[in-house]
Amino acid sequence: VAILKMAVVCVSVISKENFPLYLRTVSTYIENDMGFHHIVHTAIDVIEEKISSVGTGRAGTDFREHYLGPLYPSEQYKIYGYATNTRTKFIIITENTTSQSRDTEINQFFKKLHQAYADMFCNPFYTPDTEITSKRFDRSVTDIFKDSESKLSKNEHHGNKN
Amino acid sequence: MSRQYVGRSQSDRKVSVSGELFALTYGALVAQLVKDYETDDEINKQLNKMGYNIGIRLIEDFLARFPDIGRCYDLKSTADILAKQGFKTFLGIVPLVANWNAKGDEFSLILEYNPLCDFVELSEDHPNLLYSNIICGVLRGALEMVQLDVDVWFVQDTLKGDDTTEIRLKLNKRLEDAVPAGED
Repeated sequence: VAILKMAVVCVSVISKENFPLYLRTVSTYIENDMGFHHIVHTAIDVIEEKISSVGTGRAGTDFREHYLGPLYPSEQYKIYGYATNTRTKFIIITENTTSQSRDTEINQFFKKLHQAYADMFCNPFYTPDTEITSKRFDRSVTDIFKDSESKLSKNEHHGNKN
Repeated sequence: MSRQYVGRSQSDRKVSVSGELFALTYGALVAQLVKDYETDDEINKQLNKMGYNIGIRLIEDFLARFPDIGRCYDLKSTADILAKQGFKTFLGIVPLVANWNAKGDEFSLILEYNPLCDFVELSEDHPNLLYSNIICGVLRGALEMVQLDVDVWFVQDTLKGDDTTEIRLKLNKRLEDAVPAGED
């Protein structure tokens, strides 16, 4: 269990109308599923707030980064958000065991998720705003779970202090 | 990854269409057919019919574009030209010609990659849908215009989980008289 401390434990996709289209928890955490649903719902509100304030910032610029960073503080987890220009939202939840900023790494995961989502969305048989059942998309998310675990063991090999 | 298709408009300008747009357009077509028709068989038939109407036109364009392609003396040359020039020109891929039967009137085209299927994942509601069946119609229509009566069908499909996509073509007979201009 120590190995999973910094790994991604949950990935979620939220529609522009704020309905969860996909929520997947890493296998070792499956019993905790309900807790993650609750976290994701709270996260949606925070994301909405962040993206609604676009255009009222300095110089009235409409430019907004997709990556929103950590959304709100939590004891056990770090909750990261990402919103596309079409208002589709992604949430990545990791365990909260380091104060080191992991923004670059998490942003890479979001980019992969965004690409996987776009590919999935282009399936002519996928009805927009419905539950995501694509096996290909599942595999991309599995890759993210695995990548985040292996990144951790690499850090341990290099003797990084966490 | 953006694939480019170069076509020719009437004024001889080269027009480039992105591979994604092509795949999405075809996808929209199939999705609409799926909504409009009840059974997979019906949908497959419609795709074949559409393909036929495309094929009879495509062959004219092809032959005009490559005037040095003469008459083929046997099916093997036809197969070669189909794969190396036909598919290459219009889909940007060169399928492998293989699995000839003993009589030499039947062969397969093996496609490692099918640009029509980018992004596609079949749903379980349509187990018998032949997503790329339009290709079979195109081949049938095109060859009919050069006096070859053929049957074309899918043997394997990567969309269904097979390793490759394999289309089989069988020559029924050579047509002697004038062929009909099109179907329906």
